[in-house]
This record gives sequence, structure tokens and C-alpha cells, in this order.
Amino acid sequence: MPIVELQNVRKAYDTKIAVDDLSFTIEPGSMFGLLGPNGSGKTSSIRMMIGITVPDAGSVSLFGEPFTRKNLHRVGYLPEERGLYKKMKVLDQLIFLGQLHGLDAATASKRAQQWSERVDITAAIHKKTEELSKGMQQKIQFIAALLHEPELIIMDEPFSGLDPVNASVLMDTLVDLRNQGRTILFSTHRMDQVEKLCDSICLIHNSHLVLSGAMREIKSRYPNNRVHMTFEGDASFLNHPSVEEAKNYSGRAEIKLRDGDDGQALLAEAITRARITRFEVMEPTLEEIFIEKVTAEPKAVNAGGMVDV
Amino acid sequence: MYNVWLIAKREYLERVRTKSFLISTILIPLLMGGGIIASVVFNSNAKSTSHISIVSRDQQLATDLQSELQSGKDSEMTVSVISPPGPTTRATLDEMLADKQIDGYLWITPSNETNARPSFAYTPRSAADIATKDAITSALRTVLMRERLAHQGMVSSDVAALMQPVEVDTTQAGKNADSTSSYVATAILFFLMYMVIMLYGMNVARSIIEEKTSRVFEVLLATIRPEEMMAGKMLGVGSVGLTQVGIWLAAAILLTSTSLVSSLAGGNVHVSLTAVEIIFFVVYFVLGFLVYASIAAALGAMTNSEQELQQLNMFLVMPLAACFFAAGLVVTNPSSTFSVIISLIPFCSPLLMYLRISLAMPPAWQIALSIVLMLATIYVILWIASRIYRVGILMYGKKPTLPEILRWLKYS
Repeated sequence: MPIVELQNVRKAYDTKIAVDDLSFTIEPGSMFGLLGPNGSGKTSSIRMMIGITVPDAGSVSLFGEPFTRKNLHRVGYLPEERGLYKKMKVLDQLIFLGQLHGLDAATASKRAQQWSERVDITAAIHKKTEELSKGMQQKIQFIAALLHEPELIIMDEPFSGLDPVNASVLMDTLVDLRNQGRTILFSTHRMDQVEKLCDSICLIHNSHLVLSGAMREIKSRYPNNRVHMTFEGDASFLNHPSVEEAKNYSGRAEIKLRDGDDGQALLAEAITRARITRFEVMEPTLEEIFIEKVTAEPKAVNAGGMVDV
Repeated sequence: MYNVWLIAKREYLERVRTKSFLISTILIPLLMGGGIIASVVFNSNAKSTSHISIVSRDQQLATDLQSELQSGKDSEMTVSVISPPGPTTRATLDEMLADKQIDGYLWITPSNETNARPSFAYTPRSAADIATKDAITSALRTVLMRERLAHQGMVSSDVAALMQPVEVDTTQAGKNADSTSSYVATAILFFLMYMVIMLYGMNVARSIIEEKTSRVFEVLLATIRPEEMMAGKMLGVGSVGLTQVGIWLAAAILLTSTSLVSSLAGGNVHVSLTAVEIIFFVVYFVLGFLVYASIAAALGAMTNSEQELQQLNMFLVMPLAACFFAAGLVVTNPSSTFSVIISLIPFCSPLLMYLRISLAMPPAWQIALSIVLMLATIYVILWIASRIYRVGILMYGKKPTLPEILRWLKYS
């Protein structure tokens, strides 16, 4: 039984279509990435999952039943923009949000303190929110979404605005939670982040679904026709006949091979002209798949506009 | 309901803990007390104490005026009489005026014709000393009248009896017809409500706008319904207002009941209310506040910034002002059809039904109906406001249509 199921969901704002004919499912205990560039309809989709807005057409099911508000106690939500009371003390705020999710004050307080230790913000817990840095506030928001131990965790751009250290703290936490059996959905426009984290993904562009499914399955659809290499010296080997397309970032090249080529001829050619320190034949990255998909379907352009709120 | 309580509790505690709340709670009674004491002190010293000179050839008139000004009911001046004036008198007086030895002088020139009034010229040191001028004018009128009456052959005791001020006793007619006291109580209710609505009604609207700009609503709406949030905010902010007004009222009662003030004011500061009236006062005040606070909540839901809100606040003031004008009509005939109908309109009930209760107890069903109507109004306005709110923040300016509103209903 999928824990989240969207079927042919459509949402229009005034004249803009935010989401059109979107369907996907999320299996329990998986890490699901909702991907797409800015303004592609990620936030609009998420809002329909938690009942902030209602789809114009199609249906949303949570926990195997049509959307009802009582199931929201089983969901933890982290909005894209910080939604915290600026003048309120952090601990009070966390307790308040915990209570809204059905916890009693004592439990909420205890868990808030445990989480604060875990993400290393114990020192900030008695301060007012407005005194804290953006990264700190993001961590507090993160805790607020998890206090009531939700089965389904929905996070809209959880890593935006975080430095690499803090981002990896939160990523590790999410992986832990997934390993405990929670289901996690997060949206991001940074596709490189998703590669290592997600079990399955859904890629949307201009309000339309571009690609969805299990990460491994998607990747396996594409041949190992990419080469990432690092070199010093003459770059003229990039004109080799086996190269369909190449980008050279001064010494680091990303190459797409012609169909059926295994890259060996290119390597042999390259060695004669430059010093090679890395040569890796690999499947395309999500970003490359995405770009390929999007440029292949120019019809979708101009359908959505910038609706990323 | 639990969520409403949580929202209200947070709103209440956060606001009560702020410094501005503490300061205004303490400061207003202090100002109020200071004001009362100052006005009492000022009132007792309102009699003019200027030092003036009267110049007149008619010594009788001058001394009469002198005694009236020195010991009359409106003045306690020091008056010196110069009679008759010498050729240097005016120069001397001008000099004294410049030296600030006197505050002014009154020059009386008798008329040449018989039975015509003499002419009076008052030269004050400061033209702004209206109190002295008024005291002189009224003393002159009294003296001249008395003189003329005596001239017509009346005995002085008759003159005194005639000049006796008239007192109208208003306390005998019985409670129900004592419209002055009811009107004063309604006026107090009106000003209290006006103040609280403008301060805290606007605060309800403001806190809703604040929630929108801080995006907290996104987290909240992921667990609770917008109407729970609206109701919670209204109750929370409203209770802060009621707490503050409660403290102020208690301070006011304390201040006016102290022997110091009542002895100084001579019992002038006094509004007597029966227990029933106090209960209705509280009930209508609270309900009235909630009706208007719910309008404020709707205004907050419709707008996105403080400036927009300011333009809409006439929706709060207008009905209230209309009620106050209607109160003038109700007070003359509290049981007319007009009074009954207008006092049942939820926006007017808090003031006008209360006024009717204090004038002549209306039938119980009318009181009950007005309360039910007010509660229903609060509910309906909140319901609409929460829809406007939810659709407004998430629809990017798109106006909600009826089918959409029905769909919201089904969904929540």
C-alpha cells in the first residue's frame, strides 16, 4: 500500500497552471525526492498533499485513504520558508508546535531538548528565534516537523540556505529516520543532492511530470555513455569521433559518447595528448537525464510560469 | 477546540509578557488617576483669584461689585476700589499693571442719561485671562440687576430670594426613568468599547497579517483549520484587551471610590450601577468586543499589509458611530419598534440593548435573541474570514468563487 498517492492531480492559480496531470506514489519506508527547477510546481504539489490547498482535479490519498485532516497528525511538514514566531523563545515555540500536533507539553519539551542536542543547537534553545542565524532557524523548523514522530515526513527544500556541514547533519538525520522505517519526501532543485539520498524520485518541469520511479530503475534505463575525466595538457582529443558532446571545464571534462561506444578508443587517444588523472565511464547523472528530457520535450515550455510559492 | 485554546493561550501569553503591555497597563491608570486628581484640584481652584482695581465715580456700585467679586459664588478676587478717580489714576494703574501689582483694572464710566447703564472698560494684563473677565461680567450682571431691582422698590430679602439659583432634583423620579445615569453608563461602555476595539480589534487584524508575512500559517495550517486559528487569535488577543481593560476598570473604581477623590470632587464622580446592570455590562461588552474583533479578523484576512488595513478600519468605526447616534433616539423611547429592531441588530446590540436594559428592562426574549444573534454573527463572520484567509493567502489574489468555497467546506 503506497503511503502517498497522487492521481491525475491538477492545480491552477488564476491564470497559471501550477500542477497538471501529476501522478505518483510513495512506498512506505522510502526516501522520495520531488525534483524540478524553480517554479516547476513542487511546492504546489506538496501543499495539496497536506491539505493546505485542494486540487482542482484528481485525488490525493495519504496512508491508503482519501485525504482527511485527522491523518495530518501522522505527517511532519517543513515549509520552504521559515515559519516561526520571531519573538518567541525557541523551546516555547517547539512545545507549542508539538502540542498542536497532539503532544502534551512535557513530552514535547523532552523531545525538543533531545533533538536540540542531536542537531547541536542546545545553546540556542532559550533564545528568541529572531536572535538566531538562518541555519539555526532552519534546524529549529526541522525539529518542529519531527517532534511528534510522524510516519510521513514532508520537507520542502530542507537544505536550502544551509552550509555543507549543517546540510550533511540534516541529511544524515533523514537517512537515520528512513532506516527507522519512516517515509520521507523532500523537494529540491539541486539534483546532485538527491542522487545518493533517494530511493525513488519524481521529476517535474513546467507543471508536468517528466520522469518518475525508483532511482535504480531510472538509471538503468540509460546506457553507460558518460565519461567524466580530469586531465592536464592538450584538450584536442575531445574532438574524437566517438564523442557526441563534450564540455570542458578547464581540465575537467564531461563527455557524452555516441551510442554503443565504450570509451576505450577515446581514452587511448587522450593518453597520447594529455596527462590523465581520472577517467570514469558512468551512467548519466540525474541532472544530465533531466536536461536531456527537458530539451527533448520543448512543447512543455511556457505552460507553468513562475509559481514556486 | 483544543487547538483554539492552544492558539489563544500562546497569543495571550506572548502578548502579556511584552514590555509594552506592562507599560501601557500601568501607565494608563496612572495618567487616569493623575488626570482625575488634577481636574479635581483644578476645579476647586477654578475660582478666579486675580487682583484687580475698580475705578468708578459711583462708589455704591463699586463697593457692591467689590463685595460680589471678593466673596461671590464664582470668584475670590482681591479688589481695590478707587473712587472717585483722580487725573493721574489711569497712569498710576497702568504703571501698577506693568509692575504686575494688579492683574487688571475695570473703569466704570457712568452714563449721561438717567436709567441707562454705565459703560465698562476692563484692561487686563493678559488678554488670555478669560476666567477673570467672565467673573467680572457675571458679577456686574448680578450687581446691576440687584441694584435695579432695589431701585424698583423691592426689599433686599426679596431680591436675595429672587436671585437664589434654582436646583432641580433628578433623583426622585425612580430608577427606570433615570436616563442620565443610563446614558452615562452607555457612554462609558461606548468609549470603552471604542478604545478596546480600536486597540485590540486592530491587534487581532495585525496579528493575522503578521502570521501571513512570517509564513507561520504554513506550519499551522498543516495541522489545524483556519477557523480554529482565527478563533484562537481573536480570543487570545481579545483576552489581552479584556485583561487590560479589567485592570484599568479596577483601578478606576479604586480611584473614584477613595475618600480622597470623592471628598475633593464633592461626589461629582459617581455612576451607580446595580448588580444586574454590571452583569449585562460585562456580557454585552465581551460579546460586543467579539463581534467587532471578528470583523477585524476578516479585515486582517483580506489585507496583506498594515497600510491596507488602515484604509479598511472605517468598517470598524462606522457601525459603532452609527450606534452611538441611534442611542440618542433610543434613550427618548426605549420601547418603540425602532428601538427594538435596532437593538437586535448584532452590531448595535452591545450598546443599544444594554442602554435599553438600563433604561427599562426589555422582555427577556429580546435580550436572549440579541445574545443569540450576536453569537451567530461572530460564528458566521469568523467562518467567512477563515475562508477568505485560506483562499487569500494561497490563491495569489484570485477571488474565491462559490463552488470553490463549497469545496473548501467539504474538504475540511
